[in-house]
Amino acid sequence: MKDRDRKAGKGELNMNDEEKGFDSMTKLTDQEKSQISPKLQDTEKFFRDHIGLGTSFDLGVRKFTLLGKQVHLYYVTGLCDSLYVIELIKELLKINDHETEANRLKEIVKNRLVHQQVTLVQTLDEAVDQVLSGLVVFFVEDSDFAFVVDVRNYPGRQPEEPDTEKVIRGARDGFVENIVVNTGLIRRRIRDERLRYEIMKIGERSKTDIAIAYLEDVADPGLIEVIKKELKTIKIDGLPMADKTIEEFLVKQGFNPFPLVRYTERADVAATHLLEGHVIILVDTSPSVIITPTTFFHHVQHAEEYRQAPAAGTFVRWVRFFGMLASIYLLPLWMLYVVQPSLLPEAISYIGPNKEKNIPIVVQIFLADIGIELLRMAAIHTPTALSVAMGLIAAVLIGQIAIDVGLFSPEVILYVSIAAVGTFATPSYELSVANKIVRFVLLLLVVIFKVPGLVIGCTLFILFLASIRSLNTPYLWPFIPFNPQAFWQIIVRSSVPHIKVRPSIVHPQNVKKQP
Amino acid sequence: MLNSEKKNSTGKEKKKEPFRSFFLKIVVIGFTGGVLWSLIGYLAYVLNFTKIGPNRALMLFAFDNWKNGVAGHFAGAAFIGIISILTAFLYYVLFKKVRSIWGGIVFGVALWAVVFCWLGPAFLKIDPLGRLGTNTIVTSICLYVLFGVFVGYSISYEYGERQS
Repeated sequence: MKDRDRKAGKGELNMNDEEKGFDSMTKLTDQEKSQISPKLQDTEKFFRDHIGLGTSFDLGVRKFTLLGKQVHLYYVTGLCDSLYVIELIKELLKINDHETEANRLKEIVKNRLVHQQVTLVQTLDEAVDQVLSGLVVFFVEDSDFAFVVDVRNYPGRQPEEPDTEKVIRGARDGFVENIVVNTGLIRRRIRDERLRYEIMKIGERSKTDIAIAYLEDVADPGLIEVIKKELKTIKIDGLPMADKTIEEFLVKQGFNPFPLVRYTERADVAATHLLEGHVIILVDTSPSVIITPTTFFHHVQHAEEYRQAPAAGTFVRWVRFFGMLASIYLLPLWMLYVVQPSLLPEAISYIGPNKEKNIPIVVQIFLADIGIELLRMAAIHTPTALSVAMGLIAAVLIGQIAIDVGLFSPEVILYVSIAAVGTFATPSYELSVANKIVRFVLLLLVVIFKVPGLVIGCTLFILFLASIRSLNTPYLWPFIPFNPQAFWQIIVRSSVPHIKVRPSIVHPQNVKKQP
Repeated sequence: MLNSEKKNSTGKEKKKEPFRSFFLKIVVIGFTGGVLWSLIGYLAYVLNFTKIGPNRALMLFAFDNWKNGVAGHFAGAAFIGIISILTAFLYYVLFKKVRSIWGGIVFGVALWAVVFCWLGPAFLKIDPLGRLGTNTIVTSICLYVLFGVFVGYSISYEYGERQS
């Protein structure tokens, strides 16, 4: 499994499990060859031939002499911290001044490596993996093992507040691209001895670290098993898109636009879900973690609600629900009254396009909606200072002038804008995009089939959501299937002391939240 | 509360306990489903999608005229909620082992057929199908299907969870 490509050429390093049974003779010689050689020239030749020492500029070797014996240090410049390496070399060179017993050099070197994380490796294979991960490896002449010292310093940023999940009060630290920092951020919040981080490497070439986090006595062992099994079956060369790729392998989404897992960049949200019994997947090189299992209603909540008083949180939540409903249903409903004004209830008979324009309303809606989508995309790619100006141009000029020249009727601008604001108020970006697609489909159905189109469309929409099961979890839980207590907690943001049990959907081994 | 009861109960009662809580659950599911989808039906009635509001369920009784107003619709929704408890038990008896949403869909369509082809014209002053119009028929079928899935899938899921 490891380094298939590197080994394939000359078969020097084969330690594959599959081959163990075939030919014990070859196995022995292979193992001998991948064993670290006491001669440092062999090691150097190996690095030259297989890892590209001398070809790749970032791979280097530093040679020095201790008590008359050669010591080689292999490193990757971009990934290790030079200051620590300098300290290590300084300390090692003092051996020449203070020590005399050259035949005990190995022990002396080990003793003098002033770092808490020093490990021994027996094979070149392991040594190479470590060097390419940013650790440094010391090879000492006449010894058949090497010292690996963790001096990694990955390029990255400090934890900062995630842009997509801002809160007015509350912790401002968010996950970063470094998995070790991320696990640390969670561990800071849960010092439980039963918190587990199981790590594995995925990707034949990228060897990306992936950690599964869970509380051992709470999370559903079946779920952990399923996730581990699914992850282990992933065969891919690399994971540059990190968590998103993992998600696609894990939940097999197909063309369903609705998000089947929840992402978060907030450590407090991740910790909350761990305590509820969820399993969290952290992928190195991504600042968002995957929360499983997820239902539709996980995507309509926001950390902000839990930083406010229960009543205020509930209010915020209801306003948000209203916005989300508007983002899906407002435009199709209005469109229905445009194509069939006779349906308009008496009480709101003033609604409707009061002046017919030159372009059919449905085309106007599509143009305006696509226009907003364009603006949104443009705003992402534009530097902040410019995008403010662009927003002004867009809102004031395009909208107003489009009405003045007779392109749009004012109502179209109004309803499309409300729907767009509702879309932006959706806490999960993935969900907001999926809702937008549903809105388009419903619009088309209304234009073609009128009332039956809208009603059947809505019904199929709900049935479709209800039929989704991701990781053996019904997507619309706790609405369909109905769970009164859990549904109450979706409608109302309950105060924490009142939530005494963990949600049943994660099948927690330990149900009580407040022991 | 449930847990403490469980601890106190002796061997024989222990067997009955899960069924009683399941019984309660079915009651809650049925009632909520009836009220919820009736209210959504009321919304569809207000939006002129259908000519039949939840107050039609009260036509069995000879109340005064108030049943034609807003209060009548809410009272109708509550009454449908109570009736729905019975239908929920009917589902439990017939389809509890169906784990997909199709059981609920079929159940909903069957309920609709019973109400609109037999009960409605006979007792509830609902016009025969021919005079209802497409909008009313489509909207009511959809509501019954959603009700059926809500009640059916909830019961089947609960049943499956309790089995495992």
